Amino acid sequence: MTKGERTKTKSAREKIKEQQSAARARDKRRQMVTYVTAGAVAVAAVGLGWLYAASTSQSEEAAAALPPINVQPDGSVVMAKSGVTKPVVDIYEDFQCPACKEAERVSGQTFKNLAAEGKAKVVYHPITIFSQEPTRSNSVRAGNAARCIADGKQWMAFHDLLFKNQPAETVEGFTNDQLVAWGKEAGVTAPGFEQCVTSGKHAQAQLSYSEKIMTEQKLNSTPTVKLNGTEIDNAVVFSPQQLREAITKAAK
Amino acid sequence: MAALQQSRSVKSTIPWVTTVARLVLGGVLIVAGALKIGNPSDSVVAVKAYQLLPDSIAVSVGYILPILEIVVGVLLVVGLLTRVAAVIAGLLMFAFVFGIAWAWANGLRIDCGCFGGGGQLGKGQEPTYLLDIVRDFGLVLLGAWTVRFPPGRFALDGALGLGGDSADDEEDDR
Repeated sequence: MTKGERTKTKSAREKIKEQQSAARARDKRRQMVTYVTAGAVAVAAVGLGWLYAASTSQSEEAAAALPPINVQPDGSVVMAKSGVTKPVVDIYEDFQCPACKEAERVSGQTFKNLAAEGKAKVVYHPITIFSQEPTRSNSVRAGNAARCIADGKQWMAFHDLLFKNQPAETVEGFTNDQLVAWGKEAGVTAPGFEQCVTSGKHAQAQLSYSEKIMTEQKLNSTPTVKLNGTEIDNAVVFSPQQLREAITKAAK
Repeated sequence: MAALQQSRSVKSTIPWVTTVARLVLGGVLIVAGALKIGNPSDSVVAVKAYQLLPDSIAVSVGYILPILEIVVGVLLVVGLLTRVAAVIAGLLMFAFVFGIAWAWANGLRIDCGCFGGGGQLGKGQEPTYLLDIVRDFGLVLLGAWTVRFPPGRFALDGALGLGGDSADDEEDDR
């Protein structure tokens, strides 16, 4: 082997080496691009899903003043423009139930708006569905206090305050002192209110009404919303837009 | 000779174990996410029931959790971005273990909400914390295995050359 041949071989080897490393770099780049693309698509999918979930749960804004609200002798509360008698939307809820709080947070305004637009007669049925302590007593105290309010507007303000301030399910909450304070915040001025709350005047009525309603309506969970007597699927109840569509359709 | 053969067969088993781990973990995540995704509020209530997060954060977590579970689950099943997906899945499962243990320690009577539903239990229902924790911890281990030995057989990562697929192409381990 001459000297010249040797250098030639060397340079050929180097060339191959160079080509190999170039190929490796290309591969690396391609892998990088694939990796980043896949990652970006995955992140985008999560982001879109998140936005979609947030948008289906988007609450309505208060559009108009509240329609007339009337507290019934049995403790249920009717919210409807005068003359509007159908479709009837029955809301069965427990002041202590977290899912009811969530339903109120997401769709509460939709019910009010629909009633204000004269598209539905909305009836609230506050019941006590819990059978264990401390949730049962919390619920009964809250239900009793709501029954101490005769004025519809004040009742609704109180109802909203109760859900906003709902206690955790493991602690004693909705104490009489709190309930009296929230009543005042809701505009209750009737002289007998405080005494009515602290004495638990309507506690028995709350319990027997709950019993009666749960049997009659075959309720096994709250919130239950019925449209002309037929239960609305919970996925619809928790989606203001679908809820509005379902009720508006029934109004035609 | 026998020892060599044995170690070789162990080596060739590892990718298959990873595949099984991926499929189980990914499958569970997809099912769990799919059951929740139809009703975002359900999952918000379930997250809030743990009383671990402030309400505003719990709402966001409730909205993102189902889709996150599905996307990570799909990545694991097809074996794409295997290691990253397995890390997220493992952390998710670990967070669930922590959450359930927290609920148990604080005497909350809730359904874990693992597969939709969730929230407070009705009368006559008892929480199954121990079972939930054991199951989720098992899933944490599957995630850890997948992080250690990615991406296993039948993985897009392998087909696309993102991290070695076959046993003789061990990019970083050992």
